[in-house]
Amino acid sequence: MARTIMGTKPHETTPLRTKAVGSANTKLEGDALRVRLRQKRSGAYVEGMTRLDAGTHLHGAHSALAAQALMDLIRQELPDVSVEALPIGIVAKCYLGVPYEVHTLSCAGCIIQHFKQGEALPHLMERARSLAQHPEYAFIEVYSSRLVTVTTNGQTAIIDI
Amino acid sequence: MSSERIIHVADLRFINESLGSLRGDIGTVSQQVESVGSNLDQTRNELAWLKEAFDNFVAADIKAKELSLAETRQVKIRQELESTFGYYAQIRRQATGILQASDIQLVRKETLRNATEELMLAAPRYWLAPALVALSAWLGDNRELATRALAEAGRRDDEKTSLFFALIARRAGRNEACRRWLDRYFALQNPYHLDRQTVVMLDAMANGVFGADASMHCSKRVSLWIDELAQRVGFVETQRRQWSDGLLSKTPNVEHGNRYSHLQRYCPNWSALNGALNGVAMHQAVLEHFDGVFKGEIKAESSVLIAVDNLLSKLVTRFDDEELPLRRQEEMCRFIIEEGGDKLAAIKRNDLQSKALDDQVDFTQLLTNAAMHPETSHVTRATQRFAIAHSRDWILAAHADLTAKVRLAIPIKVQITIEDWTGETANGENETDLLANLKDSIAKLETEALTQAKLSGLHWIVLVFGVLMVFATFSAGLLLLLVGAACLTWVFLAYRQIEQTRAKIRAKFATLLDQSTQALRACIAETVELRRDIAKRDHIANAVTALLESISPEQHILAHHDAVRRVLNNK
Repeated sequence: MARTIMGTKPHETTPLRTKAVGSANTKLEGDALRVRLRQKRSGAYVEGMTRLDAGTHLHGAHSALAAQALMDLIRQELPDVSVEALPIGIVAKCYLGVPYEVHTLSCAGCIIQHFKQGEALPHLMERARSLAQHPEYAFIEVYSSRLVTVTTNGQTAIIDI
Repeated sequence: MSSERIIHVADLRFINESLGSLRGDIGTVSQQVESVGSNLDQTRNELAWLKEAFDNFVAADIKAKELSLAETRQVKIRQELESTFGYYAQIRRQATGILQASDIQLVRKETLRNATEELMLAAPRYWLAPALVALSAWLGDNRELATRALAEAGRRDDEKTSLFFALIARRAGRNEACRRWLDRYFALQNPYHLDRQTVVMLDAMANGVFGADASMHCSKRVSLWIDELAQRVGFVETQRRQWSDGLLSKTPNVEHGNRYSHLQRYCPNWSALNGALNGVAMHQAVLEHFDGVFKGEIKAESSVLIAVDNLLSKLVTRFDDEELPLRRQEEMCRFIIEEGGDKLAAIKRNDLQSKALDDQVDFTQLLTNAAMHPETSHVTRATQRFAIAHSRDWILAAHADLTAKVRLAIPIKVQITIEDWTGETANGENETDLLANLKDSIAKLETEALTQAKLSGLHWIVLVFGVLMVFATFSAGLLLLLVGAACLTWVFLAYRQIEQTRAKIRAKFATLLDQSTQALRACIAETVELRRDIAKRDHIANAVTALLESISPEQHILAHHDAVRRVLNNK
């Protein structure tokens, strides 16, 4: 169909990207947020998240410190994403061995928890359990309405829930 | 003495007969109850089997009827296409006929002119009729008629006319005219709303039909369109959704119950497992699709004349919007036939592919249609390669999302229900525990059933009464001995009957344990096989990613028919 160049007023307007995606002052939402979350994760971030169960994180003060460090890592990785749009948690395969299956980093309480086989995860995290155990994925970011899978080389995929 | 004899004769006969009759009755009733119980079990099993068979029959019958209806409807639609738009066919055939006749100069100019003018009268609204008049006037050096006919053809359908004459100019080797017609054609295009025939231009470009200059012109225009569309908010997400639908349409719809018969029978979440198997099978279908597109060399037509004639006949036969409603119905019938009468599966496929028959699409949807549904979009393999290569990054993103979604849909637990027992396993690793649990469950049921088969209160009363009568014999005489003996005999017979019943219960539960254990072992074995199968099919996702990553857009434009070298400018 021919486009209208002169004369009549166009009956539909196409919104164009006038600002660079993810500038610090923009509140990302909708498709723009999805585009931002789809971006490849950095090596440091992936490495930090995959070392979630490196033994030292199991006990008291160490656990709290480690969780805080990981929270900082998430904020550094997604600096342009508003606090309410940040992940509510991270779920990853646990390498502590049987009977442990997965571990979670809950962003609200800054807590790292290890879960045994058959033990239920907090409500929203449970849906990421099977994906977290898949060998292709390093960990899963859990958001209120979507899951983002992250591979060891930082590639992402989005699943809307 | 005499009174004792009378009582002796009278009581013995009466009690013996009564006991005999009672024993016989009890035996008969017991046998009848057992027989009724076993008949009931058998009837219940047969009824379940009959219900399953009936359900299967109804489903098969509905499918057969839908299939037959779709075949009949397809024929009717084709007849309607023929009767409603049949007169177009004659005009369409003449388009290439005129060109080929003038090539070898076998037909007089007057004949050409008369023929095309008759066509003009036969098809009052059709754009091709004045276009053919213009063509014959051009061949006959009648400039004035050519101009007037061209104006009319342009008024009826400017885009198709411009593309038609661009191809004809190319056929005649008039590159400057070809470029000008293409300029006109591109000026009419809006990348947000392209007509379906734009694939003909892509086909010409991808197959190297246009000359070097025109081809470069098209290539630049394609890049500009993509850049323009990419400026839209949410462009990448729209692409990902389009490609997700495109890839999802390759998901097979197969019932795997034949391979996993025990899981199909004993697993309540079998449909989810079957769906998961089909979901991961999508990777193989997608890999085969892309592999088929990129495998081997595409042989270009031997001459530019044949190549352009093919494109011309495609342009004039495949893209008339008046036919679209009927073409859509025809497509739906095709899906129903391909799905063996499964209307729901056909509707699902149609929903995913329906954009291929939309009146107007944006340029990237056009690329998606060309890449995924070549049979509906009428494109060649070269164009498919070109479209896939230009959409590579979007396909990769959509495939990654789809792969994660399919993986998420794989059930973590396989539930198993055998009779009243239920259990679950992830990968079959807890076979020993499940077998022990099943054994315990059946043992518990057996104990419950055995507990039911015992002497009743009446039996115990009669037993106590009989024993008392026997002891009373010493003081009250022989008569009570006989009564006591009769009572004890009756209780003994009842006890023997119960023992037989208990033996039958034990035998029944032994068989049940044996059959249930075998069924559970088979389910576990099939679970292990199923998980292996899913993992194997899922792994193919990596091959799809590797194949797509190896593609680059520059490789996929065929060499020109002109003897010129193509130089790529990366700026």
